Amino acid sequence: MATMALEGLRILDATQVWAGPTCTKILGDMGAEVIKIESARRMDIPRGDIDPRLGAGIFPDGEPGEEPWNRSGLYNDRNRSKLSACLDLTHPKGVATFKLLAAKSDVVIESFRSGVMERFGLTYADLKQVRNDIIMVSLSSQGGTGPERAYGSFGATLEQTAGIASITGYLGGDPTTSGTFLPDPMVSFLSVGVVLAAIEQRRRTGEGVYIDLSQREVTTSMVGEMVMDYTMNERTGIPTGNRDAVHAPQGVYPCAGDDSWIAITVRSDAEWSSFADLIGITDDAQREQFTGVIERHNHHGELDQLIADWTRPRDAFDVMKILQRAGIAAGVSLRGDQLLQDPHLAERGFWENVEHPQAGTHPHLSRPFKLSKQPGSTRMHAPLLGQHTEQVLREIAGLSAAEISELKELGVTSNDPTAV
Amino acid sequence: MAGETIVRGAGPLTDLRVLDLSEGVAGPFATKLLSSLGADVITVEAPGRGDESRSRPPFLADDPHPEKSGLFLYLNTDKRSITLDLRQPGGQAIARKLIEWADIVVESFAPGQLQRWNIDYDSIEQLSPETILVSVSGYGQEGPYSAYEWSNLSALAMGGLLQITGDPDREPLKVGGRPAEYLGGLAAFSGAMVALYAQRATGEGQHVDVSLTEAVATAQMYSGLNYAYLGENRERVNEFAPTFRVQNGHVGVMYRQQNWADFCRMMERPDMIEDERFNDMTTRRTHSAELNEIVSAWMSTQEKRELYHRAQAQGMPFGYICNARDLIESPQYQHREYFVELDHPVSGRLTYPGTPLRWDGHAQPTDRAPLLGEHNGEVYNSLGYSDAEQVILRSEQII
Repeated sequence: MATMALEGLRILDATQVWAGPTCTKILGDMGAEVIKIESARRMDIPRGDIDPRLGAGIFPDGEPGEEPWNRSGLYNDRNRSKLSACLDLTHPKGVATFKLLAAKSDVVIESFRSGVMERFGLTYADLKQVRNDIIMVSLSSQGGTGPERAYGSFGATLEQTAGIASITGYLGGDPTTSGTFLPDPMVSFLSVGVVLAAIEQRRRTGEGVYIDLSQREVTTSMVGEMVMDYTMNERTGIPTGNRDAVHAPQGVYPCAGDDSWIAITVRSDAEWSSFADLIGITDDAQREQFTGVIERHNHHGELDQLIADWTRPRDAFDVMKILQRAGIAAGVSLRGDQLLQDPHLAERGFWENVEHPQAGTHPHLSRPFKLSKQPGSTRMHAPLLGQHTEQVLREIAGLSAAEISELKELGVTSNDPTAV
Repeated sequence: MAGETIVRGAGPLTDLRVLDLSEGVAGPFATKLLSSLGADVITVEAPGRGDESRSRPPFLADDPHPEKSGLFLYLNTDKRSITLDLRQPGGQAIARKLIEWADIVVESFAPGQLQRWNIDYDSIEQLSPETILVSVSGYGQEGPYSAYEWSNLSALAMGGLLQITGDPDREPLKVGGRPAEYLGGLAAFSGAMVALYAQRATGEGQHVDVSLTEAVATAQMYSGLNYAYLGENRERVNEFAPTFRVQNGHVGVMYRQQNWADFCRMMERPDMIEDERFNDMTTRRTHSAELNEIVSAWMSTQEKRELYHRAQAQGMPFGYICNARDLIESPQYQHREYFVELDHPVSGRLTYPGTPLRWDGHAQPTDRAPLLGEHNGEVYNSLGYSDAEQVILRSEQII
């Protein structure tokens, strides 16, 4: 078997920030050749900024260094296993070069604000002229059509406009957003399969396709049952804290130590009975009070107190092990350091140590799936800005040395953010 | 009736055959994505009881009926349903025939269960080397926690998203809905497609292992990375897009430096543009309590949709908290025809979220979710079981 699952696939990547880059990172880890097109004039936001105080970078030990744009952890995680070529797409020769690369690529994927590729002259119709069976995937906030197509967003505001925030929040409290930017990874996971479904279609029909993904729509698809509750019962959901609609008790309870918590879900009367034994609810009257799931829902607050009294002096990992031995779904709310040291993730090789010439060696995330025969891995560290411009122009676009230096002189391939 | 008026398999994944042995959310969501792209998906349900999600709310008119669960109806569009008892050896024999039929098999049993039924990946590989098996579980097929029980909440906890969501002075907060399971479904869909690409090249299938906990950990990203690069844990703090109460709901604000002046003018507070307490990201954080007080007072007089559109028109990426009704009424969603209507023999005509997969020339779910065992006849006939044999299988409660 070939060592890499996606050997032979070439992706021309004009995406930025999170969703697109993470999709192409996964494709790259799995064996696709990914060419990331970057601009020194408008760098990918996670590279940080020329002035690192203004940027969104997370730098090793908080030190931006001389070239912060090559040291940002956010960028370096999301962009490994790729080549980086700098091309200024606002310049006609940048666009022409992009088309030469598109002609040699299976897929073009982009995440500019809706309308920007049009201004560059790089629509699906334009690209189809250079390669008839090209596949093009556009990732945008709201999709390429509709009255809100040009609206800006971030992951946090998309959680709001897609519906998921309306049911996130403490019981009786205001709706809120997650501690990350969920719509971005959701779209990144989905678009890996979308790219490959388009390849499968091309294999069968010989034809390419244009795919218009709206991050907002993707996110709403993750709360389908919330929408169904409205269309079936005219009920709009509200935040319900950490509780479950059916199972009780479910909650997040304090354990010994600073900011240490255990998540517990009790899923049946049988589980409840063992759980009550373990936490010392032995009194007949008390047992009676919580005997069925309805009683446990009705007295959830009281029950939460009893559970917290039991967990509070105990170590979270001890609680997890005790409850898991009784077949109860309990998990420690892991902090970052605990995730990095988690023995289960370690044994599964979840973290991949990546050595980067300017950022040093750090553990990075692997992938959300594991293939038994071709698991994939980090193939190379994230590229320095424009690290492979010449190689890509020469070997893939087929430009001569003279043509390459002309582009350089015109500034089209500049990789110096301080010079532009 | 389902399956008669529809040409099955119209779409990019026409000809792809998927056997879905999974239940709940993650596996069925993955196969919903496949079926919405035209794959022929047969979902296998336990006789009598059916898929676990059939007994999960919301229910039409709050009636807990197996054909009225909004969760099941949503997750199983464009699929066929058969009943089959995998616990019986006779059921396992039928499963092996279905595995030979399938390009992709999806399952969500506890790790090790398939081996007890002789349909684990090694058995599948011998029987049908080109078949891909996708396993979805809480912690993955191997590793010290693989036998642990899991829930959506435990996966959010062990994947690190729980710890960074919520208020710093309260307990960690889960994200609403079933995000760990949906993320696992996305990972299973994409993992299956990677394995399919490889299979087209090599002719060989393989085993795809999806851990909901790892799907969450890869998705939230920040907590591990923060510690790896900075040596400190990310705090539970919600400063990305603080939400404010307005007259009829909530609006979220992203304070970007390039929008600060416009934002002050919109609040009719031009004096704040140069106010040193608020005019850069760092000082806004230091004086966030004062800023919140000013912004909250102004926000309380606003209307959510009007403010959202007005801010966006000036280049400010505001959001507003959309509940399900706001989504249904959204002009953007209406323009893109995101919602679809499907008619179901028991639950009737209902509006469903459509597919986010906007494919040129192909789009929406076209067929409602199947009734429990609705396709037993056609599937068991096509596997070669005569009507008389099916009577026996039914009476033995194998199907």
